[in-house]
Amino acid sequence: MKKIFLALALLALPMIAPAQRGAITVKGSDTMVILAQRWAEIYMSAHPDITIQVTGGGSGTGLSALQNGTTDIANASRPIKPGEREKLKQRFNSLGVEVKAARDGLSVYVHESNPVRELSLDQIKSIYTGEITNWKTVGGPDAKIVLYSRENNSGTYVYFKDYVLRGSDYAAACQNLPGTAAVVNGVARDRNGIGYGGAAYSKGIRSIGVRKEAGSPAYEPTEANIRSGNYPISRFLYMYLREKPTGVIKDYIDWIISPAGQEIVTSVGYFPVR
Amino acid sequence: MRRSSNVILTLVAALLGFARPLLAEDDSPARVEELKGQVEGMNETMLEMQSTLSALAKVKISGYVQAQFRTGESDGQASFAGGSFPNGVHSQFMVRRGRLKVNYAAGLTQYVLQMDVTQNGVGIKDAYAQITDPWSKSLSLTAGVFDRPFGFEISYSSSSRESPERSRMFQTLFPGERELGAKIEYQPSGSLLNAKAGLFNGTGPTANENDNNKDLIGRVGFQLPFYDANAEIDGGVSFYGGKVRYNSKFVYAVAGDRWAVDSTSHPVGDYFDRNYLGLDLQSYFNVLPAGGSSVRFEFITGRQPSTSSSNSAYSVAFNAASTPLYRRDVSGWYLNAVQNIGRRNQVVLKFDVFDPNTSVEGSAIGKAGANFTPADIAYTTFGAGLVHHWDSNVKFIFYYDVVSNETVDHATTTANLVPFKEDLKDNVLTIRMQYRF
Repeated sequence: MKKIFLALALLALPMIAPAQRGAITVKGSDTMVILAQRWAEIYMSAHPDITIQVTGGGSGTGLSALQNGTTDIANASRPIKPGEREKLKQRFNSLGVEVKAARDGLSVYVHESNPVRELSLDQIKSIYTGEITNWKTVGGPDAKIVLYSRENNSGTYVYFKDYVLRGSDYAAACQNLPGTAAVVNGVARDRNGIGYGGAAYSKGIRSIGVRKEAGSPAYEPTEANIRSGNYPISRFLYMYLREKPTGVIKDYIDWIISPAGQEIVTSVGYFPVR
Repeated sequence: MRRSSNVILTLVAALLGFARPLLAEDDSPARVEELKGQVEGMNETMLEMQSTLSALAKVKISGYVQAQFRTGESDGQASFAGGSFPNGVHSQFMVRRGRLKVNYAAGLTQYVLQMDVTQNGVGIKDAYAQITDPWSKSLSLTAGVFDRPFGFEISYSSSSRESPERSRMFQTLFPGERELGAKIEYQPSGSLLNAKAGLFNGTGPTANENDNNKDLIGRVGFQLPFYDANAEIDGGVSFYGGKVRYNSKFVYAVAGDRWAVDSTSHPVGDYFDRNYLGLDLQSYFNVLPAGGSSVRFEFITGRQPSTSSSNSAYSVAFNAASTPLYRRDVSGWYLNAVQNIGRRNQVVLKFDVFDPNTSVEGSAIGKAGANFTPADIAYTTFGAGLVHHWDSNVKFIFYYDVVSNETVDHATTTANLVPFKEDLKDNVLTIRMQYRF
């Protein structure tokens, strides 16, 4: 018996040697994909021995990959949920390390021809929960509002539901599209469309001003308004790791939150954390 | 070359000639209207499919199979590492657990049904409904068959646990982990404290109630995260307040170094206390560069109504033959350490102690006339293992349990205690493959 146990222990020894890390995998938020790819390209050009593989799939998908060990870094456009932390604890005995990597103003997009320039948070909520179904109700043309949203594995979807819809369900007629680019494309082609997504994607359509309350001033999702906190739908963009980073991953994260990495945030269209 | 160019030009010309009428047709208002109608039709179909898929998305099916080989030191040995070995057998393949779980979550309500399919048949593990309050979303009511709200290890899923089995004290005091009843759980978002408590039959997950007494089980827990250090300390205090009805007028209690019987003060059909108090602590921290690490500790002490030959909880049907009741004071604890090594591997060490009768030492157990049995013997188990996560679905566990028992040193001891004059040959090696989806 003891011999069997010893033999098994010896066989298992190679398994417990830490793997060499010359590659970093990054998975998650579609909102952050363009930013994460840009970071990776520039970092790899300065570190030819490092390979960084970036994929999207949504914040939930990235955090799920972090829980099951198939990615090193999970990008998320929302904070990690308590249940996701619990899964990290169960599998890796770790709470996960949160890195605030950028800031984003969550833009509400309409077609360029749409005369509606501003909406309050309550109006946006009513539109997306299906209480308001015609643009006429909010000062637009007499036309049915066509809703574009993200899929439910998206951090943007969850953030919008939590902070704008305040937990209410999206209207059943909402068209859920895979990726912010698809939402932007949908609204750009639809005169009666409305969508939401990262500020960096707000090209080819128009971002409207958002009022916190009915009587308060409306603010556009500009850097100044987001930095000052005036724009009511701003958020952090996060990177999550299983443990406190070491080696190559630590170098990469340190570079991302350094002035050089944060310059890239600005160039892509998001806003630096500091 | 020229020949092929001519062929290509001819093909392009032919295609253009073919395409022109199509384009002309596409431009016609009738064709546009037709296409618009088709797109609208597709949109309607999509919306219908979306509503169907949304309903299906509420159903989640998950499960796991634990197929394992285990080998013990002697034929037919009693074991808590996956159950006792069959007579004449000391090695076997088995399906330790084969779970299939269906969960339907509709907003703030959910339905859960979990089956266990093994070589021994099909059994029920979970069958409960749960509702959460719509205002604070922190208060929930659960009713049916589900984990007893006591301690940590009971509700720590067998699919996630790093050691193949729960500690001996949990297997003895809470066999099957589940119970029939209803509980209320308070888990406020962002709070460091949580609490859960419920009333249960007290007869186990698959037995019907046999008295009018309900057992109260609960736990008050805390979570102290230290996010900057990626560390956390969790813990809780648990209690079990129950009673069992006994059918015999004979009640035994330890007096000095022997069982003494009381047949006068307890009328048949009276109730007897079954009480436990538990403390659990879990700490999580990083050991760099290896990975996350945890140390878990749990201690239980209490009073267990049981029988002469078994230290499991006493439970008999209303009209069953009378079985004398034995009052045992029990205690047990375990210390479990897990170290992650990189993404895929974990090293596990576990030390587990259970004393089913704290009123008597092993040296006195075999004394002539004391009437102690193997049910009074204390055990310690040292387990060591390696867990290798093959991928996100599959993991392998290599685990060895070194089991030690209290020894009896009396020459005149009864036959059933003779084997306990020395440490039993009952160590077990378990090699398990688990698939979870």
